[in-house]
Amino acid sequence: MGIKSFSRARAIHVMLVYTGGCNGCDIEIVNSILSPRFDAEQYNVFLTWNPREADVLVVTGPVTHLNRKPLEAIYEAIPNPKLVVAAGSCALMGGVYKNCYGDIPSEEIEGPVENIIPVNAKVPGCAVRPQDVLAGVVSLLPTLLDAD
Amino acid sequence: MDKKVPRSNIIETEIPMGTVHPAALEPYRVRFFVEDEIVQEAEITIGVNHRGIERIMEGLPVEKANALTEKICGICSNSHIWNSCRTAEMGLGIEITERAKYIRVIMGELERLHSHFLYLAHGCEVLSHETFSMRVFYLREIVMELLAMIGGNRVQYGCSVLGGVRPRCDLDEAKLLRLKNDMDALEEGLTGFVERFLGDSIVMSRITGIGVLPQKQAIELAVTGPTLRATGVARDLRTTMFEYDDFDYNVITQPDGDVKSNLVMRALESFESIKIIRQAIANIPEGKVVNRDWEMVDMDMTESYIEVPRGTLYHSYALESGRVRHCIIRTPSMANIGAMQYACIGDQITDAQLCIVQCDPCFTCTDRAIEIIRR
Amino acid sequence: MFGNTIIDSVVAVILTVLVCFVISTLLPGIERKYIHARIQQRIGPIVIAPGIMAPIKFMFKENVKVSSPVPGLYKALPIICFIVVLCVLVALTPEAYKIPALSSLVAVVGFLKVEEICYVLMGALSKSVMSVRMPFPDKIKGAAHNNSNLSFIEDISSRRSLRMITYGSFPLYLALFAPITAARSIFLQDIVAYQQMNGPFLFTVSGGIAAIVFFIGYMIILNEYPFSIIKAKSDVIEGPYMEYAAKYRSIVYLTRGFFMFVLGCVFSVLFIGVPPTIMSLGFLVNVLVALIFVFLMGIFSAFAPVFTNRQLLPTILGTTLLGILAIVLGLL
Repeated sequence: MGIKSFSRARAIHVMLVYTGGCNGCDIEIVNSILSPRFDAEQYNVFLTWNPREADVLVVTGPVTHLNRKPLEAIYEAIPNPKLVVAAGSCALMGGVYKNCYGDIPSEEIEGPVENIIPVNAKVPGCAVRPQDVLAGVVSLLPTLLDAD
Repeated sequence: MDKKVPRSNIIETEIPMGTVHPAALEPYRVRFFVEDEIVQEAEITIGVNHRGIERIMEGLPVEKANALTEKICGICSNSHIWNSCRTAEMGLGIEITERAKYIRVIMGELERLHSHFLYLAHGCEVLSHETFSMRVFYLREIVMELLAMIGGNRVQYGCSVLGGVRPRCDLDEAKLLRLKNDMDALEEGLTGFVERFLGDSIVMSRITGIGVLPQKQAIELAVTGPTLRATGVARDLRTTMFEYDDFDYNVITQPDGDVKSNLVMRALESFESIKIIRQAIANIPEGKVVNRDWEMVDMDMTESYIEVPRGTLYHSYALESGRVRHCIIRTPSMANIGAMQYACIGDQITDAQLCIVQCDPCFTCTDRAIEIIRR
Repeated sequence: MFGNTIIDSVVAVILTVLVCFVISTLLPGIERKYIHARIQQRIGPIVIAPGIMAPIKFMFKENVKVSSPVPGLYKALPIICFIVVLCVLVALTPEAYKIPALSSLVAVVGFLKVEEICYVLMGALSKSVMSVRMPFPDKIKGAAHNNSNLSFIEDISSRRSLRMITYGSFPLYLALFAPITAARSIFLQDIVAYQQMNGPFLFTVSGGIAAIVFFIGYMIILNEYPFSIIKAKSDVIEGPYMEYAAKYRSIVYLTRGFFMFVLGCVFSVLFIGVPPTIMSLGFLVNVLVALIFVFLMGIFSAFAPVFTNRQLLPTILGTTLLGILAIVLGLL
């Protein structure tokens, strides 16, 4: 294990982008990082709101039309190596909102997240549990450590 | 003379924030028009997370539609399913069992607790007071565990069904005991926090007189819920709801309508919720939790208003052969957007997000349907 | 013989700087783990995470094209900041006392001013994606003030740093000049010599008041809560540092820890009379002072919300008055 992997394993900056959906996943994720109960910082996962600082982008929600471009812009702003965690069933497959106008074609829901940016890990659940989000971020560690 | 009227039409500069911003977890766009760091005007653009729930509900069987209303909001999910069931129950004349009524009240009050704790924690976080924020999140975790115990999920519990509550959500002796013990722990923790919070002179000087919403303005803007009560108007729909007839509680009001009043308001209301839950635990009647003795008939447009943690929630729909028609939902944040825009005028830009947060925004609730204006 | 002395001095300075640097990388971690996390009743990150591991991690990240009107200058600014802090430390070492121009209080104050001006420039040059550049249809029919001119959030931060230069950092400089009243000299050599003869300045009335003022000034210049208006999370997110990525961000991280340590050394030179040098046991005093300052700062910042201009002005005014009181008492 080189110094690169060693340091990456000990400082992971996570950014959260929330792209619609019902707010449930979002609060659970913030809860998992901010609350002393789950305390992501003990696994050296830090929450940041600056894309230039982030390593892992956690995306929740089904990416509504107006959120597509901001999501892309933020993804672009993150320096490589970057990884994306899609959390919650909306982010994975559009959730209940996917066919929001039934047979009528609609541009409202652009998701799932995979259609817009490459996704490295998927965390299922409606809403996701904080433990699962932490597990999802941690499961990305090998990919992150080996990236150049 | 209203001090909050903008002084001139000339705007020095505009600072847009969002749709991703640490102080506003939800996606919305806000444009602050600023003169020397003082906000002169604010414009909130919603519709960023429009998902068309009401359209999806159209034509669904009513049980399915009820479950779908939960997905409107992850904070007050129980209120939505409760009110949606209540609409059909009112229209079809379904009697809910006494025990189910009590369990619904317990769920509703637990949700009020978790929503108010979230509000307090988020408010402290926007104040950049990480320690207080974490302490409230720690208390909130007790409520979340209770909700998970009753409903089986931490966020969307799906408690109410037509005629009562889901049998999974029935409360046995062990659950009631745990509920009782946790209420004691919660009250102790909350008392400690409130004493700490009100005794902290730095925080108090930071939030007193910020984001003032005068009573006259609040009524004019049709503000609802705790945000209205924090301006001194004792209007609480719980007093008119038959579910709350058996319970003894106070309607809390605060005089000033600023951030301090709002935060204190939520804290004091949490104590009332604990009180209601205690009464419900003590007096919970025996019996069945769901009344399946009803028939589906066509129903005319029925409306139901209830008091949810953030204000007045309105659901209405008609039923045609068991399917939902013309569903309309109005959430409290819709009414409070005007208050948010108004409250941040005249304050520092550092406080502007705080002023928006004080009105308890839930834009995910609000962004369901777009209104098409034909001209 | 003379050549040997110079080489010895240079080696001593380099060794001191290196040891100080290594210790300083631990300070952000100590603040986060042992103070903030402890107060917030959680476990917290490992000690080396924020100060050492994060900068190393950023070293290995791919550099991105900075969104700034003058990318070259913008990227140079953190390096300038680091060099400035380094110069302050070098000026404090006893080996530097032979160069009077460097080892005077005026030079230290000058270096600190450069540091502050760097924040203004950083803020003005950073154009991050989080505000105006966020793609969103803002200027549409029906929107308010469609022809207003737009500001990035960093522009506010830049204006605030300018405000901090004009009055915000006043307490720190007053506290720096308080020891002069006792030693009657602006040269660090004389200040140290005076205190070694007459006991630390800290333990006089004027010194005690000045130490409090110094501590508040220390928090202000480090932009720690509650004085962090130039990087308040509730509006400007990270302010001047928004656009730094990869190597430049790692320098920003390192500078912060280093700056904490160096300001601790400034205190121990001016108020206790112990210059930082690896050659004597007095170095332990420097480390101890730096640690005490970090502990105190951590406790204060954990229990305070961010101040706005409304609270900042009275606080700074009060502290400035205290500083003037300290100087007047020293002169009497």
